[in-house]
Amino acid sequence: MRTTQNVATQKDGHYSDPPLLVLASLASGPKHGHAMIEDIATLSGTHLGPGTLYGAIARLEQQGWIEPLPQEDRRQPYRITPSGLAVLKAKLTTLHHFAQAGLRRLESQ
Amino acid sequence: MSPTLTRLLIRLYPRPWRNRYAAEFAALLETWPSTPRTTLNIISSALHERISPTQGGPMTPSPITLGAITRKPSAYLPIALSLLALTVVLTAVTLNGGPVREADEGSAAHIWQILMALQAPILLIFAIKWLHRAPRRAAQVLALQATAVAANLAAVFFLT
Repeated sequence: MRTTQNVATQKDGHYSDPPLLVLASLASGPKHGHAMIEDIATLSGTHLGPGTLYGAIARLEQQGWIEPLPQEDRRQPYRITPSGLAVLKAKLTTLHHFAQAGLRRLESQ
Repeated sequence: MSPTLTRLLIRLYPRPWRNRYAAEFAALLETWPSTPRTTLNIISSALHERISPTQGGPMTPSPITLGAITRKPSAYLPIALSLLALTVVLTAVTLNGGPVREADEGSAAHIWQILMALQAPILLIFAIKWLHRAPRRAAQVLALQATAVAANLAAVFFLT
């Protein structure tokens, strides 16, 4: 998973780290591509393009953090793996600490 | 998105990726509105996949790709220094209005020498670090670095 290159916010304030967004989306259960995109838009306000989504899916699958389930019609659902859940938890915890520290600094000004 | 455009866009991806993801990606794109932004998104993702492939399919251990290795400072710094040195030579030649024939080396020559000398330890570090880990990729980068050095030597030989 890419790190600082991806951990960026768009100018409108939406969070944009496609692999992390995909992991977060799959944390609530298996989904196929369209469902992930809709869920991510609801979760973060970020509208991933199809190329970006499948770039993230391919890399997450390569890392063993998500895995495919049997196809439904022609749609391919994915689910998060235990190691993916651990990575997601670690990354979100780091982000949480970072956000808290950043907000404290803002409040102290 | 039309099936024709979908097929064309998917063909931009490398074959291993297509073998793994083409069917499901096509199913997703068929229900996707066709916009220039979507097309650009797929083109840029396909290019990224070609530069830094995931290989698709049953995933192999993470390969050291050419894209990944060239992002290492020890890979790109010598090339950047070579290009800078070449720029120094060409600038000196341009300012002198032709080949420079000086008995006494000027400041441009000293800068060129420093830039070329700086590359040696970095090249050594790169070779020690990467040749055994990714021989093919490291050799490709070394070939690129050698080409940049050769371009410099040719410029100095023929233009000064």
